[in-house]
Amino acid sequence: MIPELPTLLLLGLLGGLLALDATAVGQFMLSRPLIAAGLAGMLAGNPEGGIVVGVLLEAIHLAVLPVGAARYPEAGPAAVAAAGAFAGAPASSQVALLVSVVFMLGCGWLGGRSVEWMRRTNARTAVPPEGPVDAGTVERLHLRAIGLDFVRGAVVTLAGLLVLGTILETLGWIPFRQQWTRPALALCAAAALASSLRLFGRRRMPLFAAGAAAGVLLLWLR
Amino acid sequence: MLLRSFAVQGSWNYRTLIGTGLAFVLVPALRHVYRDDPARLRQAVGRHAELFNAHPYLAALAAGAIARLEADGVPPETVARFKAAVRGSLGSMGDRLVWLMWRPACALLMVALLLAGAGWWIAAAAFLVAYNALHLWMRAWGLDAGWREGLQVARTLREAPFERLGERAGDAGAVLSGFSAVLAVGWGGDHGWPYAVLGLAALAAGIALGPRIRWVAAAALTALLAAGVVLPNNP
Repeated sequence: MIPELPTLLLLGLLGGLLALDATAVGQFMLSRPLIAAGLAGMLAGNPEGGIVVGVLLEAIHLAVLPVGAARYPEAGPAAVAAAGAFAGAPASSQVALLVSVVFMLGCGWLGGRSVEWMRRTNARTAVPPEGPVDAGTVERLHLRAIGLDFVRGAVVTLAGLLVLGTILETLGWIPFRQQWTRPALALCAAAALASSLRLFGRRRMPLFAAGAAAGVLLLWLR
Repeated sequence: MLLRSFAVQGSWNYRTLIGTGLAFVLVPALRHVYRDDPARLRQAVGRHAELFNAHPYLAALAAGAIARLEADGVPPETVARFKAAVRGSLGSMGDRLVWLMWRPACALLMVALLLAGAGWWIAAAAFLVAYNALHLWMRAWGLDAGWREGLQVARTLREAPFERLGERAGDAGAVLSGFSAVLAVGWGGDHGWPYAVLGLAALAAGIALGPRIRWVAAAALTALLAAGVVLPNNP
C-alpha cells in the first residue's frame, strides 16, 4: 500500500541514506536487506512485516559480492520500498508478501543499473582535469557525487514505493491461491542460504552438514 | 583523514575508480605538508586524483602510507610506483576477507539468530557489532600502519592476520549456512515428509547452483505468482 505522505518522505530519506551506506559513505552495512527492511517496517508502522520481507531478501542477496566494477543489484533502497509498501498489507496476505519479494528483486536490479548510470556520470562530473588542481575543487566534486548518490537512492526508493504500493492496492480483488506461497518462499530462502556455502568453499561441506544437523535438532525440539 | 576515509568511495567512477576519493581523503594531510607552497599542494592533489583502486576499508592504509611519503618528501615518481604496486593487493585481500568471508558469515549469524527465535533487535545488533568490529579496526589500523610504515607497509600487510581471520570466518559461515538453511525450511510450516524432501532438494540445489540460485529463485517465485493468479480455484 502507498504510505501516507510524511511516511513516504521519511522512507525516501531512509532509502537515500541507505544507498549512501552501501558504497559511498560508511559501509556500516545498515543497507543490508534485513536491517533496511526492518527499519522501513518500523517507520511504516509494521515492523513484523518489514522483518519477514527482510529475512527473505537477505537470504536471496547473501551471495551478492560488491567487487570492483562488477554488476550487482542494489539491495538497500529496494528493501525499503518493498518493506514500506508491504507494511500496509493485511498481515495474512501471502500474495502481498510474494509480490513484494518478486518486486524487490526487480527493483534491486533497476537500482543496480542506476548505480552504473551514476558511475558513468561521475566519470564525467566528479573527475578533476589532469594536472594541478585545487584541493577545494576535489572536495566539491566529491561531495557533489555523494549528493547525487543520495538523490538517486531516494528516487529509486520512492519510485519503488509508489509502483509496488499501487500494485498491492489492486491485489485485494485478484483471486489468488495462498497456500503455496509460504512453503515456496521458505524453500527459495533455504536454497539461497545454502548457496552461500559456495562462498566459503565446498571443502567445508562437513561444517555445513554439522550446522544443518543442529538446525534439524532445534526444529525437532520445538 | 580517518573520518574522510569513510567516504573514499563517494565519487566511484569508471574512469579513475576511487581516485577522486583518495585525493579527498588525503587533502587534510597534503594541506598540512604543503601549507607554505600552494603550487605544490595543487600538484600533489592533482597527482593523487588519478586512477586508484583498493578495497574501501584498506584504502585507509594506502592513504596513511601516501601521507607519510609526502611528508617525508619522497619523489612523486616513487609515490606513483608505490600506489601502483599496492592497489592490486589491497583490493584482493580486502575483497577476499570482507566481501567473501566476513560479511556473509556475519549476515548468516543475523539470519540464524532471527530464524532461531531471537528478536530482530538482537539479531541486527549482533550483525552490526560483529561486522563493524572488523570494519572499524581495519580502517583505524590501516591508517595508523600506513603512516608508521610508509614504503615498508607491504611487510605489515603480510604479517596481518587476514588469512587466518578469513579461514575462521569461512568455517563459522559454513556452519551457520547449514543451520539457517534448515531453519528456513522449517519456517515454511509442517507439511510432512514430502515437504521435508523438497527442503532437502532445495538445499542441494542451492549448493549446486551457488550464486546463480538468485536468478532461479526469482524465476520460480515469478512463475508461482503467475500460477497462483491463473489457477486460484483449483484444489
